[in-house]
Amino acid sequence: MKKRYVYWLMLPGLLFLTLFMLLPIIHTIGSTFFQEGQFTFEGYLHFLRDRYYVDILLTTMQVSLVTTMACIVVGFPVAYHISMLSPRKKGFLLALAIFPLLTSSVVRSFSWIIILGKNGLLNSWLVGLGLIDQPLEILYTPTAVMIGLIHLFLPLLIISLVGVMENIDPDLVKAAESLGSSRFTVFRKVIFPLSIPGLILGSILIFVGSMTAYTTPTVLGGKKRVIATFLYQNAITLNDWNSASVIATIMIVITLLVIGLMTKMSHKFRVKG
Amino acid sequence: MTLLALENVSVAYDHQHYILRDFNLNIERGQFISLLGPSGCGKTTTLRLIAGFLEAKSGQFTFNGKNYTKVPVNKRNFGFVFQSYALFPHLSIFENVAFGLRLRKVSDSEIAKRVSRMLEIVSLTGYEKRFPKELSGGQKQRVAIARALVIEPDLLLFDEPLSNLDANLRVNMRVEIRRIQQELGITTVYVSHDQEECFSISDQVAIMNNGVIEQLDRPSTIFKYPRTEFVAKFIGFSNFIEFAYREDRDGEIWLKDKATSFRVPKHAGTDKSGGRKIAIRPEDINITADSPFIPSTGQIDTGKELNQVAGAVMVSTFLGRSYQYVVRTEMGDFTVNREMEEPYANGQKVLLTFPGDKLVIVN
Repeated sequence: MKKRYVYWLMLPGLLFLTLFMLLPIIHTIGSTFFQEGQFTFEGYLHFLRDRYYVDILLTTMQVSLVTTMACIVVGFPVAYHISMLSPRKKGFLLALAIFPLLTSSVVRSFSWIIILGKNGLLNSWLVGLGLIDQPLEILYTPTAVMIGLIHLFLPLLIISLVGVMENIDPDLVKAAESLGSSRFTVFRKVIFPLSIPGLILGSILIFVGSMTAYTTPTVLGGKKRVIATFLYQNAITLNDWNSASVIATIMIVITLLVIGLMTKMSHKFRVKG
Repeated sequence: MTLLALENVSVAYDHQHYILRDFNLNIERGQFISLLGPSGCGKTTTLRLIAGFLEAKSGQFTFNGKNYTKVPVNKRNFGFVFQSYALFPHLSIFENVAFGLRLRKVSDSEIAKRVSRMLEIVSLTGYEKRFPKELSGGQKQRVAIARALVIEPDLLLFDEPLSNLDANLRVNMRVEIRRIQQELGITTVYVSHDQEECFSISDQVAIMNNGVIEQLDRPSTIFKYPRTEFVAKFIGFSNFIEFAYREDRDGEIWLKDKATSFRVPKHAGTDKSGGRKIAIRPEDINITADSPFIPSTGQIDTGKELNQVAGAVMVSTFLGRSYQYVVRTEMGDFTVNREMEEPYANGQKVLLTFPGDKLVIVN
């Protein structure tokens, strides 16, 4: 009986979330289905009929997907390497790896302008070395956004992978070796399958993070819009809150779909038993 | 015929701390040999060296006439059974056992046949589709054994395979391991710190201490005739007497001190030349109440018989079936076990007799 009082401790948090998160979300989503008091899908149809809008949505999805994939490819070997080290070295390298997360996103993004700009570091090196004649157009393209996002989100993948990898019993590696596995086969048949939960967690974080990222695309994307900057433009610049709500709802749905899909995948790959 | 030979092998961590130094070991084909010793004695290091998980700093490892020193783990074809079982948690029991066969590109039908035969040997038929988490400790270890055996290894290695199991299961499993090993006639190296386990299961036991094999013998030989003080202590000889002089006579060894002399008959446990230290188990010393009067004659007994020492009980403890006494004598303290109804009181004068055939000479 005494325990019941404990539940009252949740009340402030619950109240806060209901008032400032749940109700606004319901209101936002609800408002997209009404125009002048009539129930309608017109908001969505209007969005989906417009090639410009759909392009923004597809660009965003593409940027998120490529960012996630790139993080996996780059992060996996790093995480594997870190997970094999002694605790002291592991701590040091992990701290280095998560450094991008600790810097301000504005500063981080502006640094990329210096590197990727038309007369930036990268282009002056490449031209200076004679590798290219004309400076590359990277800044203010989706590529620049991806680079910025990979920089930002790689630590998330490394952390979630190291988390699962360091819990893999080293004897499993030895067992696989004694049964005849080469280093690569050990990775393919033991390390990789056992890392999938961390991989999926990291991927969800990165994909959702990339979908909703605002600062990086604003600074590095130039006129090329992604969905989050587009939403901001509709709401603040154009004062079209109805369209902004539609975009927000679409983002929520896509995010939930991706999370659902990946969770399902992780269940499939999960260690059974 | 020697199957495996370690010659002058040294293993060191961080270039200074030697675990093994100029270590030698020969194992005959088809034998079950145990490495037994306290933690840190180098037994697990030896096993890991044989498996290929560790590389020797120097020395040579010969297997079946070939130099295996530099052969990597995955090319050795040895089966290894871990203390932690090390089953692959993401694979079914069938796939765990089939793991090594899949790497060897064995056909599916052959895999199915060999896995099911192996699961039959370890009495786990019907568990193919389960996952390691659904099995008990004993079942897991049997899967691990099946997984190591199914690749038809040239050598089977066990690293304390039973120490995570409870006592009853441990006894059953060691009988199982012995049965399977004899059925398949596979040469086996087994590491444990459990003396009873090693003695019950092995053809030969190597007792290790500080990276050195103190004695390599049949279990019964070690049990009766330990060669060194360490081995004697390890297997329960808790009484040691060192003498200053030794004289070898016909069929007897005379060991003397200022105050006492012992005569030890020559047998397998006393044939070491030059040794002046004798050992005996607490249960092998005869203890009797020492009365200064010989009851039949009423005279004071002065001359002690052969190999006898007088003393007094200092401490007595109840061991269940017997009492254990610590007896203080002019030659030092002795631990003596004896089954009796009523214990001696502390301070009781007693006479200790050391039977010659139970005495061993240790180095």
